[in-house]
Amino acid sequence: MRQRPSFWYAAPAFAFFALFAALPMVLVVLLSFTSWDGLGTPQPNGVDNWARLADDGQARDAVGRTAILMVVSWLVQTPIALLIGVWAAGRQRTRAVLSSIFFLPLLLSTAAIALLWQVMLDPNFGVTQSIGGWLGDVQFLGNPSIVLYTVAFVITWQYVPFHTLLYQGAARAIPQTLYEAATIDGAGRVRQFFHITLPQLRYTVITSSILMIVGSLTTFDTVLILTNGGPGAASRIAPLHMYITGFSGFEMGYASTMAVLLVVVGTGLSLLVMRVTGFRSMTSQQEGA
Amino acid sequence: MKRNWPAGASALVWLVLVVGPLYFMVAASLRGRADYLTSSPLKPPEDPTLDNYRTVLDGGFGGYLFNNVVVTAATVAIVVLLGVPAAYAVARSPSKLVQRGFTLLLAGLAIPAQATIIPVYLLITRLNLYDSLTAIILPTAAFALPVATLVLTNSLRDVPKELYEAQTIDGASAFGVLRYLVLPLARPAIVTVVVYTALNAWNGFLFPLVLTQSQSSRVLTLGLWNFQGQFGTNVPALLAAVTLSVMPIFVVYLIGRRYLLSGLTAGFGK
Amino acid sequence: MFRRSRTHALITMVAMVAVAAACGTSGPSAGSGGGGPFKVWALQDPALNPIEKASAEGAGGTLETFGNDPYKQKLRVAIGSPNAPDVFFNWGGGNLKEYVDADKIVDLTPVLDENPSLKSAFLPSVLDGAKIDGKYYGIPMRGMQPVVLFYNKDVFTAAGATPPTTWDELLALVDKFKAAGVQPISLAGSQAWTELMWIEYLLDRQGGSDVFKNIRDKGPAGWKDPAVLQAATKVKELVDRGGFGTNYASVGYDVGGASTILAQGKAAMHLMGSWEYTNQLQQSPDFVKNGKLGWVAFPTLPGGKGQPGTVVGNSSNYYSITKSSKSVDAAKKFVASGLNDEKYVQSLIDAGDVPAVVGMKEKLAKAPNSEYTTWIYELVEKATVFQLSWDQDLTADQSTKMLTQLQELFLGKVTPQAFVDALAAG
Repeated sequence: MRQRPSFWYAAPAFAFFALFAALPMVLVVLLSFTSWDGLGTPQPNGVDNWARLADDGQARDAVGRTAILMVVSWLVQTPIALLIGVWAAGRQRTRAVLSSIFFLPLLLSTAAIALLWQVMLDPNFGVTQSIGGWLGDVQFLGNPSIVLYTVAFVITWQYVPFHTLLYQGAARAIPQTLYEAATIDGAGRVRQFFHITLPQLRYTVITSSILMIVGSLTTFDTVLILTNGGPGAASRIAPLHMYITGFSGFEMGYASTMAVLLVVVGTGLSLLVMRVTGFRSMTSQQEGA
Repeated sequence: MKRNWPAGASALVWLVLVVGPLYFMVAASLRGRADYLTSSPLKPPEDPTLDNYRTVLDGGFGGYLFNNVVVTAATVAIVVLLGVPAAYAVARSPSKLVQRGFTLLLAGLAIPAQATIIPVYLLITRLNLYDSLTAIILPTAAFALPVATLVLTNSLRDVPKELYEAQTIDGASAFGVLRYLVLPLARPAIVTVVVYTALNAWNGFLFPLVLTQSQSSRVLTLGLWNFQGQFGTNVPALLAAVTLSVMPIFVVYLIGRRYLLSGLTAGFGK
Repeated sequence: MFRRSRTHALITMVAMVAVAAACGTSGPSAGSGGGGPFKVWALQDPALNPIEKASAEGAGGTLETFGNDPYKQKLRVAIGSPNAPDVFFNWGGGNLKEYVDADKIVDLTPVLDENPSLKSAFLPSVLDGAKIDGKYYGIPMRGMQPVVLFYNKDVFTAAGATPPTTWDELLALVDKFKAAGVQPISLAGSQAWTELMWIEYLLDRQGGSDVFKNIRDKGPAGWKDPAVLQAATKVKELVDRGGFGTNYASVGYDVGGASTILAQGKAAMHLMGSWEYTNQLQQSPDFVKNGKLGWVAFPTLPGGKGQPGTVVGNSSNYYSITKSSKSVDAAKKFVASGLNDEKYVQSLIDAGDVPAVVGMKEKLAKAPNSEYTTWIYELVEKATVFQLSWDQDLTADQSTKMLTQLQELFLGKVTPQAFVDALAAG
């Protein structure tokens, strides 16, 4: 048995993670029961923050916006990524060349993407102005009832390639024999998609959906740069609201309370998706392999 | 294979949506300021100029790039140095403690970094690291560890037991096995982890935003944001900065597209 | 039990090693030991930063600058950390008071007492902007920055208009410019502090200067004063009338959008701090040099309780010193020299800034931009009250809430009444 690695091989990694990721997670829970202005030391204030959160209309609005963003980006991204992913899985040369172009947004940092779109959508100096037409009159970033969808669009632009990549990989792993059998049975292209491709991609849909859900729950830098939560608070989603409360209003205890809520909701949603879809049995299968 | 019209059509639309903005970005970065304001953004620049790139390079871009390289390299080094032995232990160690630790580490997959920013800030200031590159490196590496360890562990678990046992019979120590068996076998997984970690560190925004401030410790993402204030309505210069910031990754993409893509989907793809 | 304590010891040890290792890899910018040049932080300003840089470096310091919105956040975060700047630019008022209350700021009263010539050099009302509980915590370092109404003379001439002196004239001009197809007023509405200037003036003209002082000193209940509702209603009227055009909500000031459309003649007026002049001089030099940039005081509001001569804005900016600084003495010397130094003052004047120093008129008259600078100097000199910008005079949490509500008001998302109610609720 001596030749097998001892606990000490893993200890440094565990300790490092414990100090800089797990400990902060514990601290954020503790901080959520304090009042701290960022200058002095945190003062315990019981459940005051939690009581305040339950009664905070602005926080509720921010959570509502996050929910909208989550649903919209899921609804838009999933079909696009699925279709293009399956298409890109084909081995034809054109498809290979085109999909290498599709993945280009992956090379840009979030900051770069947000700045690029902000410049393009600027009401005075942007592309929409120079192109003119009806596009020039739409306030993509300035209209409170549009801005959240603009954010969803930019997020889609950024992340569809990633999800396409997931679907492409998974679609390539579908055994070709399934399609051959179906063709012999006389199933058409559409039927094959719904009866073979989609069921075979089921777990990828779930993985990709969980990533989208958690992703939109924690979207932060895109919105900070693109709109800074504006106009007004129209795109101030939950993580940004937390950031502004913590690093602009300097109510860091209260901001921690929001952070805990974010973690709880995020984990809860992921678990829910797994439970509803029976995803667990699959991961355990994988781990057993 | 038959043609797949709906997917092909959406692929075409997507192509336009992807290429349009990127074309605009590069084209505008080659325009003079006046030309940008007056001519159509879709026309190629009539009188292309590299002045904007000069402005960007004079504006501190090199320093930001250097910081980014340092942060990325250090983060990758920490993650690989800690992650590989840990994954080896998880795959092979008889210790119950290791498995328990691994479960905790996996729970970390569910923690969004955004939610811990306030205590991370508290911790970093108490460690006297505020406004240093170290301040960015430590939490970035910590949050990359769960995925990295998971990917490495999965690849080591795929190694047939007999291989480990054969080495052991030959009298190799645990470290010997790590050095001569695990490292070579885990190479594809290590490449994936390196790419995944590097991309995370390279594109990081929140940790640098909260944990640093002076120009000397500014990384590329924050530098870009700062350029926006610095250049004001000089959009071509800003876009030149954005274009320049994409270049390093673009080069990597050209050289090792397969590795880059595998790192992107680390732990989620097949 | 044994196992656990061993694990703990191990975790601590490894963490320390990891930290030490990481420190070693973090490149030249890591670590900030004592000694070395002291750090000075200031707000980004293309025209003034070079002057401040020279002055800081001359005294053995280094200058770091930040854009407006990030600056306020970065400063607070840094002062809460052990890596605070030694000297920092601020606006005095309630914001500085928070730092003073947290015992972070060096009392500069002795410095002023030791240098009577320094103390008497400043306009007293300006020096008092950084006076907290009877002690001075900051020394003025830039010019006075009242908020004034800028306009594009070409656009006014083309429309046959004259600058507004009363609120009603302003409203009439809005209609006139709209009819002419010009955006009447430029507003960088993506940054709430630009909208703040409107309600600051309107509340002062409407209800007098005591209304806001009451809010600041006695708490949010003060927002219930009827004058606040009247002022907010006037804001709404102006917005609904199309005063700011349609796309103000996504226009920024830091990125230059609002100033550029004034210079290009796409907008007719722009309410902004006096720094707009130096800003325009930098960004659109021809616009200023050809005399196309005009300026007037904020219109009066006949029937309002406020004094017509009151100005709002920043009486000056101040340098303050943090207690954690390792070079307090060098920093003190630096802040005491600044505006007391002929060369520094002259450079500010040459850049179009108006230092808050007594007996400036002659100097200003001789310098370039004298028409503008003299006007600003007289505007402030004649003002009975100089109200500091609210976002600087309120505490950070109050100010953040107020700015959020204000943006909602400008967007028409809340009614003036709901605006008042939300603020009064605290």
